[in-house]
Amino acid sequence: MLLHLGEWLEHNSWIVAINSSVVLSAILEVAHYAGFFLLVGSIAIVDLRVLGVAARRQTATSVAEQLFPWMWTGFASAFLSGFIMFAGDATDFSGAWIFCVKMLVVLLALAAGIVVQRSVPKWDRAPSMPISARLMAFVSLALWIGAILIAVEVPAISGVG
Amino acid sequence: MAFAKWLQGTHWAVSISGSDWAYPYVQWTHFSGLSLWLGTNLAVDLRLLGVGRKRQSAAQLSDALFAWNWIGFAVAVCGGFMLFACSATNYVPNPAFQLKLGILIPLALILHIVVQRKTRAWSETTNTPTIARLAGLIELLLWLCVVTAAVSIPNYDVRLPR
Repeated sequence: MLLHLGEWLEHNSWIVAINSSVVLSAILEVAHYAGFFLLVGSIAIVDLRVLGVAARRQTATSVAEQLFPWMWTGFASAFLSGFIMFAGDATDFSGAWIFCVKMLVVLLALAAGIVVQRSVPKWDRAPSMPISARLMAFVSLALWIGAILIAVEVPAISGVG
Repeated sequence: MAFAKWLQGTHWAVSISGSDWAYPYVQWTHFSGLSLWLGTNLAVDLRLLGVGRKRQSAAQLSDALFAWNWIGFAVAVCGGFMLFACSATNYVPNPAFQLKLGILIPLALILHIVVQRKTRAWSETTNTPTIARLAGLIELLLWLCVVTAAVSIPNYDVRLPR
């Protein structure tokens, strides 16, 4: 079933046209890179603020409220461009175990990011940043940095991408 | 070019390019640094442009991000230098690389420093001055051009990795 879906995606005329154009694939790559820079950069700053090593003159809530919309904008850009690049080689990507690990880590990192986003105002009301908050911020940061490492390992290990 | 040859032949550059596992870690360093550097740059540029939330003024945001902005830059430069060292002789004649490092990065970097120094003054009035919006927009576009030049490097030389 999944294999059929992959084959259908790979042969979809739109996907083929986009991925075989030099200019459009460059645009996809720029959207993917710039998107995850914005995504990881903004969540990392919020995590570092919760950990107490960034922007200490400002509340975590104020930093988070300013940056979280950009986290989601970055995610949308990275996800859409990533999906089109995936679709161009869907069967090869889904057959590569390291790519599946990447998707899993990105999903976990996203979940951690959402937990941080929702908890920041609550954590901020405590007299000092709770240990659980610092732990969660550390996990989120580690997962995002880990996601980048696994992403660069995809072509290195599987040869796809 | 003599420098590129020497650099590529140094012991550590050879061990990175000759190893299957080291190269992705160098890419990882470059991309992690860039996430901090460009993520924070774009957030400030967008704030100057007046796009997105206005929970913080551009000056507050720039101040909050300052230290990690430059930490990100330092990490990205270290990673980038190691990537360059792995096949320096192929990068030097590459037109996309020349455009990226010779023109786009110096321009974007100078503008970034000017913007960073001016942001406090620009934030004093309730309405962001037009010059500030323009500077934010140009910086944003310049960094996107830098990324475009970077992803185009392998198009000019198949020996260079994506």
